[in-house]
Amino acid sequence: MKLIKDKVAKLSFVALLVTMTAAIFYTPTASAHGEKSQAAFMRMRTIHWFDLNWSKEEVAVNDTMTISGKFHVFAGWPETVDKPEVSFLNIGIPGPVFIRAGSWIGGQLVPRSVSLELGQTYDFKVLLKARRPGEWHVHTMMNVQGGGPVIGPGKWVTITGSMGQFTNPLVTLTGQTIDLETYALDNIYFWHAIWYAIGVAWLLFWAKRPMFIPRHIAVSSGKASSLISAGDKKVGTAFALGTVLILGVTMGTTNEKYPVTTPLQAGLMRGIKWIEMPAPTVDVKVEDATYRVPGRAMQMTLTITNNGDSAVRLGEFNTAAVRFLDPDVLEDESGYPDDLLAEEGLTVSDNSPLAPGETRTVNVTASDAAWEVYRLADLIYDPDSRFAGLLFFFDEDGNRQMVMVDAPLIPSFI
Amino acid sequence: MSASQSAVRSRAEAVAVSRTFDWMILFTLFFVVLGGYHIHYMLTGGDWDFWADWKDRRLWVTVAPIVSITFPAAVQACLWWRYRLPVGATLCVLGLLLGEWINRYLNFWGWTYFPVNFCFPSNLMPGAILLDTILLLGGSMTLTAVVGGLAWGLVFYPGNWPIIAPLHVPVEYNGMMFTLADLQGYHYVRTGTPEYIRMVEKGTLRTFGKDVAPVSAFFSGFVSIIIYFLWHFFGKWFAKTDFISDDEL
Repeated sequence: MKLIKDKVAKLSFVALLVTMTAAIFYTPTASAHGEKSQAAFMRMRTIHWFDLNWSKEEVAVNDTMTISGKFHVFAGWPETVDKPEVSFLNIGIPGPVFIRAGSWIGGQLVPRSVSLELGQTYDFKVLLKARRPGEWHVHTMMNVQGGGPVIGPGKWVTITGSMGQFTNPLVTLTGQTIDLETYALDNIYFWHAIWYAIGVAWLLFWAKRPMFIPRHIAVSSGKASSLISAGDKKVGTAFALGTVLILGVTMGTTNEKYPVTTPLQAGLMRGIKWIEMPAPTVDVKVEDATYRVPGRAMQMTLTITNNGDSAVRLGEFNTAAVRFLDPDVLEDESGYPDDLLAEEGLTVSDNSPLAPGETRTVNVTASDAAWEVYRLADLIYDPDSRFAGLLFFFDEDGNRQMVMVDAPLIPSFI
Repeated sequence: MSASQSAVRSRAEAVAVSRTFDWMILFTLFFVVLGGYHIHYMLTGGDWDFWADWKDRRLWVTVAPIVSITFPAAVQACLWWRYRLPVGATLCVLGLLLGEWINRYLNFWGWTYFPVNFCFPSNLMPGAILLDTILLLGGSMTLTAVVGGLAWGLVFYPGNWPIIAPLHVPVEYNGMMFTLADLQGYHYVRTGTPEYIRMVEKGTLRTFGKDVAPVSAFFSGFVSIIIYFLWHFFGKWFAKTDFISDDEL
């Protein structure tokens, strides 16, 4: 019996080792950015991205593409997240597969952090230069200090070619033309190798003689002073003086070689221009809102008043980058990512044109698997059970009005 | 062979065994220190050491020496008081730099494709040589802490300047001035490292104008003295054999 037990134990151990060894050969690509894991209220009530455009779906190494569009900084920013007073327009990609050749908010280059105003809408553009071949999920992204990354919608973009062909040429203010991809690399390797060699020489000087046991015996028996000779001290002095000498000389030669250097640049950029949006002439009051868990649908009762001079219809509800459209009013022609687009996801109980001066109460349903797939249904577990989003109304001429909605949300479990 | 008999039969054999033991201990010590020091430095120095656009003249100069003098002080204590070997700091820095270069080359470049000229480690070797040679020449822990600790902070920037100076050349880009290191940070996208996390050029040393690096280095050296004392005592304490009973010795 014991023999069998021992054999089972041995075989189990072997099987465990084989499994662990085999596991290292399975390395799937991690290509998502955790956008579905971010708390739903973070995506619904912070930055609303819209009118997005990815200029290309396939781009060759060294070629460029842009992501452009607008984002609205939600006025009802959640209390649990720091306000976007220090924010950074980032891009959600798996490492530097593109380089960020430029990024602008309101026409201003924003290589540094910016201060954003609640309730304002900004246009932005990010210029990307392809660097590493592959198929990459490219997200818009806004990092907020104290709030974390607020990730926007992502779209798959393919980069073709070879990374070996990538170059990043620049001309410095001293007139030197460089390739930033490989610039100063030899210099870095050289100095590290030199100093490493000096360190190894010092270590070997001591390691060439008996080290641990004899020296420990000598120290223990009170003969420690015999272990350091005058010759050792001379060599030590030479290493110390040599180090100081090298430092002095290399400081001087470096300053001669690079007479113009500047400190790293940093600072917060304020006064970023937002879009002067006309005041909406459509007024929306949320009477109630529920999320039906079994039906994966959000239902709102809205009282809409048209204070404008042309009839309007509700065409889109946009929340957490998911777009619910009424196909009778609006069709997407921008190539928006399929998984974030519910082309027939918006149902309005009466979506006939709302005449100027008219007030109507309607039931609006936004339903799609995206509620579940993008874990927006988890909103019911958030600490502040509210929803928010953008409503887009259109008149007969296609003119668009954007109205924010923000209200408590009651979950329905039956 | 009984317990009272020697494991070796001649003096030559004893010397050979002792030398084998030396190399085994040195090899093991090197990689143990490499692992421990590397983790410590990544957790405390972190981004300041990872990225060229964090290597500024104020905070990098201040923080990196203070958090990196720890293991050298502790290992020096062990190797000096037990073996009179003045190689503790150099051994630590050799281990740290080897570990860092493996990490930067295989992980930062090999896996995530950040150019090596953007993610190279800081050079700590000049300070390590001075720390060891001052201990050798002075034979005093106090002298090594005060003179060596101060030197550790002071020589950090000069030891790295030939490496980082080319990256501090200015460039005009889309109507703004950057250093090349700034531009590396902007170009090579770090999704989890937004610009505001970067702790550079912050502080109140404005009265010193552009010459803040020496002031930062002096401050760093002073704090390094204190940290040296602290970690030297850690090393001395860990090198004790009190926890082994006399019967086992």
